[in-house]
Amino acid sequence: MLFAIAATATLAALYFVYPITSDAKEEKIFVTHTGGVIKTSGDVLDPIYTAQTVEIDPDKYLREFNYGRTSSVDGKTVREYTIIAEDDKVMEISPGVFYNVWTFNGTVPGPTIRATEGDWVKVKFINMGSKTHTIHFHGFHAAEMDGVFEPVGPGGGQFTYEFEAGPAGVHPYHCHVMPLEEHISHGLYGVYIVDPKKPRPPADEMVMVLNGFDTDFDAENNFYGANTIPFYYQHHPIQIKKGELVRIYVVNILEFDQINNFHLHGNLYHYYPTGTYSVPSAFTDMITLSQGERGIMEFTYDTPGKFMFHAHKTEFAEKGWTGLFLVQDEVVQ
Amino acid sequence: MESTKTSKAKIAAAGIIPLVLLSAMIVYLFGPGAELVNFGTPLPNITIERVDFVESEIQVTARNTGPIDVSIAQADVNDRIQPAAIEPDKHLARFETALVRIPYSWNEAEPYEIGLTINDGTRFAHSVEAAAPAIKPSIDLVSYFAVIGTYVGIIPVLIGLLWFPFIAKMSPAKYKFFLALTAGLLLFLGIDAIEEGMEISAERLSGAFNGQLLVATVVVGSFVGLYYVSEKLVSRVSSASKSVAIALMVSIGIGLHNLGEGLAIGAAIGLGEIALSTFLIVGFTIHNTTEGLAIAAPMARQKPMIAKLAAMGVIAGAPAIFGAWIGGFQYSPISAIIFLSVGAGAIFQVIVAILKWIRQDEQGLLSAPTAAGIAVGMIIMYVTSILI
Repeated sequence: MLFAIAATATLAALYFVYPITSDAKEEKIFVTHTGGVIKTSGDVLDPIYTAQTVEIDPDKYLREFNYGRTSSVDGKTVREYTIIAEDDKVMEISPGVFYNVWTFNGTVPGPTIRATEGDWVKVKFINMGSKTHTIHFHGFHAAEMDGVFEPVGPGGGQFTYEFEAGPAGVHPYHCHVMPLEEHISHGLYGVYIVDPKKPRPPADEMVMVLNGFDTDFDAENNFYGANTIPFYYQHHPIQIKKGELVRIYVVNILEFDQINNFHLHGNLYHYYPTGTYSVPSAFTDMITLSQGERGIMEFTYDTPGKFMFHAHKTEFAEKGWTGLFLVQDEVVQ
Repeated sequence: MESTKTSKAKIAAAGIIPLVLLSAMIVYLFGPGAELVNFGTPLPNITIERVDFVESEIQVTARNTGPIDVSIAQADVNDRIQPAAIEPDKHLARFETALVRIPYSWNEAEPYEIGLTINDGTRFAHSVEAAAPAIKPSIDLVSYFAVIGTYVGIIPVLIGLLWFPFIAKMSPAKYKFFLALTAGLLLFLGIDAIEEGMEISAERLSGAFNGQLLVATVVVGSFVGLYYVSEKLVSRVSSASKSVAIALMVSIGIGLHNLGEGLAIGAAIGLGEIALSTFLIVGFTIHNTTEGLAIAAPMARQKPMIAKLAAMGVIAGAPAIFGAWIGGFQYSPISAIIFLSVGAGAIFQVIVAILKWIRQDEQGLLSAPTAAGIAVGMIIMYVTSILI
């Protein structure tokens, strides 16, 4: 009897004390995104090592501009867009990490809407979510088009925002339903670009929305990135052509630790705050943006190679907001 | 013959039928599609049980202590995402552990917070007050722990045994007082071990293990087990050797207790808590001289048997060495709790044995010397525990 007790106790103790060991597997070696070398028989936990299975494609988002369905009424260009809000999607926002994102047209950030100063913009908004949502556009519009006092009900509620595009520059749009922080931090935002009547010089144009996710709801971001996926552009460098003008529309939409910045290596850029003035305010390699601040950056690389860009707030950089430009003589896109 | 067969079948059926009904009810209540009992979404949980600082690497042992399977997606050091390897793999079934290896050039004596993020984005963190190189078993270290164990365990117990002639020449009342004093000393040690186990359970063990109930289970289990063994042992020996048998049980009980003490010291050194380990070494050394007294007391009416006393001193003290090895090289909160609880159970068994020994006297158990002895024993231990 005593033996039975002792055996039971010993087995129970061993079960808890010693880890379950696996069969020895072949060791693999890999180089991490920070340059370290790991040899392991197990799995690898690295934000850029695993295959990208995320539904949000930062590469596609980077250079995608939506000009809407255009028509002409009394000599004026009318641009019509449709934006559908949803709040039930669970997406992989960093390899292996799944989070309930709230989306405009199925992605975070929502589509980049682009018009020219003076165009008539019509945005048909459909709320397919389970909560009330709106769209609040920064820029000029009438009071009743503000997206604050016109809640759009869940389950198919509709509203059409109409206004004349302006002023020229880069503006954010986002849901403006309380609690605001919750609606924005889940992903209901996007970029609205207004081109000046006299076009800016031709350039390789791209959009970078500086965002983050608080996946454990402690009012601090667990992940940061440009265009949602942490470390994405570090693993997939953005290819640009030597000598070609690059224009980036950058928007800081962070919730929580919202003082963000953009630092460029090996170069300086002309910076146009909000993009409303045609004269740059600075020639610099670093700007700092508070929540909702945005601007246009213009630069050219004259030598090929890899150049880093990242938040100079190192915490954000080390939690995903970091990437690379690959400058080449010729770019295959 | 036929009838016994049918009756056996009937008995078996009578044993099995309630089990079948019970399983059916559990399936009905909790099985697939059951909706009667639904308390919402179960939340995942990960416990970081160990953090070892090795050459250019931080090694984290994590266990899935939640009700559902999880997969670990990311590791961080001080809340900064770090690439890492996880062995055997990143999917953890309930209670399964994995080793996360984070390449990181850490700095000695600096505090670190290690975090693991699972697939739903929840981050679990564990803080280390000061990074210290993980202890690797080596001949030097094994002998170092052996020396520590000897100083803490064997030598003080042997010093305590030197009280033997003093106790041997005492009047019956005083002798009884000293036996009761021993019981008091031991009672304190037993309570102390339980408290220590509870503390470890609260600080280092996940709630999923029900650490406090584990303490209770192991204390009771080791108590009844040792009680049974000691009864057998004492009943088999002649009455003249009964006192020796009791002293032997006392030294075994104390030995199990000292295993726990060695474990605490080894773990403190292993976890890099230098101040704590020094404190424990000094404290246990002083404390353990009283244990020699506890062994000497039951044998005080015998002729002095130096060899036997010395052997018992070693039985009581040497486990401190094993404890230090286990604690230093293979620390886990759960094994620490189990060892401490076994020690407590053993001590309570010894107390019962001593009280039974005292009761053989015509005055019975409740006499002034016994009451005073138990109380004074407790007070001595309490005071030493404060002073150290």
